[in-house]
Parts: sequence; C-alpha cells; structure tokens
Amino acid sequence: MYLGFSSMVALLVIINASSFGGLGFVATVLAIMTIAMTLIINYADFVLFPLVTMVLGIKIIAAKNCYIPKNSNCIIKYVNGIYYATGFLTANVYNYIFEAEGVDESEDQKLGEAPDKWERIVMNIDFPFRYNIITASQDIQVYRDELEGKRGVMEVQLSREMGNSTPNQLTIQELEKKMNILDARIERLSTGERPVNSMMYIETTAVGVSEKEAVDALANQLNHLQTLFNSFDLSITRVIGREIYYLFTFNYSLPDVGTLTRIFSIQK
Amino acid sequence: MLALSQNFIFTVLALTTFILLLLTFLTPGTPLIAFTLAIFTLFFDVLTFSTKYYASFFVPFLKMKNRNLVMESEEPFIMAPSGDAIVIRREGEVYASAFIRIPTYRSATEMSQEEKVDFSRLFSRALTLTKRPMKFGAQLYVINKDAYINNIRNKLNEAEDRYQNAMISKDISKEASERIRGEVTMWHNLYDSVSKVNSHALEAFAMTTSSGGNDEEAITLALQQADEIAAGISSIFGVTASIAQGEELLRFIEPDYMIPLVTVSEEMRGKATLEER
Repeated sequence: MYLGFSSMVALLVIINASSFGGLGFVATVLAIMTIAMTLIINYADFVLFPLVTMVLGIKIIAAKNCYIPKNSNCIIKYVNGIYYATGFLTANVYNYIFEAEGVDESEDQKLGEAPDKWERIVMNIDFPFRYNIITASQDIQVYRDELEGKRGVMEVQLSREMGNSTPNQLTIQELEKKMNILDARIERLSTGERPVNSMMYIETTAVGVSEKEAVDALANQLNHLQTLFNSFDLSITRVIGREIYYLFTFNYSLPDVGTLTRIFSIQK
Repeated sequence: MLALSQNFIFTVLALTTFILLLLTFLTPGTPLIAFTLAIFTLFFDVLTFSTKYYASFFVPFLKMKNRNLVMESEEPFIMAPSGDAIVIRREGEVYASAFIRIPTYRSATEMSQEEKVDFSRLFSRALTLTKRPMKFGAQLYVINKDAYINNIRNKLNEAEDRYQNAMISKDISKEASERIRGEVTMWHNLYDSVSKVNSHALEAFAMTTSSGGNDEEAITLALQQADEIAAGISSIFGVTASIAQGEELLRFIEPDYMIPLVTVSEEMRGKATLEER
C-alpha cells in the first residue's frame, strides 16, 4: 500500500512534468529521486536510520536512564555508576522446527542435533545473553485452505505437463517435490500442529564504567555469539537502527500480530 | 498528550500529499507555482511513505531538544502491587506482562537420539500454545553472589582483626599466630577467586502481554493468560512451570538484575587494579 501510493504520486508528477515549463526536467529528476528514496527506506532503512542519527548527532531516549547512542547499534542503561550496553542479533531457526521444506530423513537428524549444539554453544559463552522467540500461531483453517489451494494449482500444472506430447521430466519432478512438501505440511496440520508466525533474536549485555568500555565489550560479545551460532547453520545479523528501539520495548510488552508484521518481516 | 497512531499520521500526510498533487494539476498556466507545489508534493510523499517505519518517531522528532529525541522520559514499566506482573503505559494504552519460569533443564548428554528429536518436537508444539503473541526465551545470567561475597568479606575482616590483635598481644603462641595468618590467607584467596570471576546459570521462561482499560484489568488478563500458558507448558514438558515474581521477574527484564551490581563491581574493580599495575 505504502510503496504503491508513493510510486503513484511520483509517477503522476512525472506525467505532469510538461506543465512545469523549463523546470519539467528538474521535476522529473526529483520524482525519480523520490522513488529511489522510498525504495531505500523500504529495503535499506538499517543503513539510512543510523546514517541520519550519526550525521545529526541524535541520541534517542528510550526510557528513563536508557538511551540509544547516535550510531544506533545498541541501547545503553546507566544506573548506579555503571553502563549496561545491550545489543541484538537476529536469528532464524526455521530449518529446524517450523518448516518442513524437506521430507527426507535428514529433518529428524537436524532436530536430534539441535539440543547438543545448543548445549555446546552455552558452554562456550561466559557472558550473559538471552535467546528469544516471539511467536503467534495462525488460524489453521485459513492456512490449510491456502496450502490446498496451492496444491490444487500444482496438480493442474502437473496433469498438463504429463498430458504433453513431450513431457519435461525435470519439471514433473520439481512439481512432484513441491506437492510432497505441501502434503507434508497439510499432514502436520492434521496431526494438530499449528502454523506459526515467528521472530527470533538474541540479545546480550556488556558492562563498563564508561560508555565506550561497555560498547566495546558488547561488540566482542556479539562477534563471539555470531561465531558460535553459525554452527547452527543460522543466518545471524546484527540489528542496527530503529529496530533496536522496538526490540527494547519487547522486553516489557509484546505487540499484537499486526504490529509485529508491520515492524518486521515475520520469518515463517 | 494526544496519542497519534500510525494510521492517523499516515492519513494526514497522505491527504496533504494528495491535495498538493491535485493543486499541481489545477495550476496549468503558472509553471513556477506548479513546480513549487510539485516539490512540496514529493516531499510529503516521502514523509507519507516513511510513516510505514518511522511513525512513532515523528512527534518526538518534532519536539526534539539538544539532539535528544525523547520517546519516553519515564520508567519503562511499573511493578504490579502483587509483584507478579509489570504494567506498561504507552501511547494512551495500558498493557500488563507476566512471565512464566520454565524449570526444564535436562542435558542432551542424558538423552537418547529419539529423546532429542522428541524434545525438539515438544518445543515446536509449545510455541503454538496460543494465538496471541508469546515470547519464549532462554537466558544465561550472572548469579547474584552479593550475599555470599559479603559473608566472605566479613569473615576476612574478622580474621584480619584477630590477626592484628594477635600481633599486638604478647601472650599468643607462635602456632596460634601462624594458624590465624593461615586463616587470613584462606579467606583472602577465597574472596579473590569468588569475586573476580562471574558464575552463570541458565533458565528458560515465557512471556505474555495483555491490554486492558485500566491497570487491574490488564494485570488480571495477563495473569489468566500466564496461567494457561504455564499449564500448557507443564503438560507438554512434564515440569512445574510457575509465574515469576519480584526479583526473579526483574531478572528477565532488566540488565542490572541479570548482572547484579556488587558482583559486577568486584570484577571491574579487579580489572581496574590489574590495569594500574
């Protein structure tokens, strides 16, 4: 909705550029820059937001004694003469639990390895950290209808391909594989499992007598966590920008599903 | 202060953009005015789009002083009178959150391969307990050794006093004096080893949030949900999940409870002494 509205406005300005006389070209360039700006905000605000706060020197006061410094890469609490710097990493374990992308034997193996890997990671960490998963289960019937709809479409494609005078074996195999995956998901729904929207992140806190000491210690801790959690085959990224503020508020209250979807891309 | 929702801000800015765009079409004979209006249209267009992510920063940005963008100047929460929930007031709404302790820790070394797969599947099932957003977490926190360290420090001080008195006294034997000195060394070494290194513990928890018209309603609903979740987790994992209270609850939220002050101060004092040397 947002991107559509903004692009439409910019395009209408471009269409109307002829009525600006000699400045029509300038208006067109500015309209194109507007579209570029909206795309940057949409896809790369983790670059834009910290850039703006750094350049303008803005410190965000999240709550009493808590602030996000101008480089927007952590949140700091100053209490009793000590700085507590908290940073966040995103994590996505959907391979392990939430998605049956593969229906072969290796899924059980992955699930069996998960507790061992988790313990190995915890044993190798000597600083405080917290692993969080925010979940909200979806309506089973709505999700089932979606899956059955997709399966129906694939059945039609498969029968069309097989009815061809020269059927493409690769396409047939691809379609059969996708149908197996959908069947596995429908089967899981039948056994009582609910589809889940989820968001995972890891946070850690470092302390220091000065802000710099705490922030430097935090950077080391985050690097260490990234290295250790890589053994899980996860995609781990450091959180920078406006999302720091939202993750901070999640420590105290969870948003509703609509807000979660709006703020982040929910990992399915 | 009027709470401005994202939808309201988006609507106002979108209407402004639309009106300005319309005006550019209604001024065909005046290219300079039309161009100026187009510039403003594009500016408001970007602002409208940015409400997707930055709506909650708009009003604080406009009220910014000395480059401090104040989202909230008060404490982020207040503790419920019963100590088993926290109350948050934000954007004119009242929320309450409750935390559930999950005392499940069984080492993977004690499990067979089948049990490990089952455990992972149980975890997956626990995540679908409720349709409302719920947070599961596992945290490694610093054990609060303040009382233990204070106890050792008191014993050390007592031993040192006795040693001082022994040195002054002429009646004490050499063996007794050596024993007291040994005791001082023992308490000193124990104090050094316990206070310089942090000890950690791992715990799991769940969190749920409810909104309400007032504090009591929000707290009641949050605790009801927490009870349901605790019952669900208890039946899934076969453990006794319970609602966290007091300092235990604060440990799931505040970094200064997750890392106790005195324990941290001792470690940092030790670091500072090493650096001086």
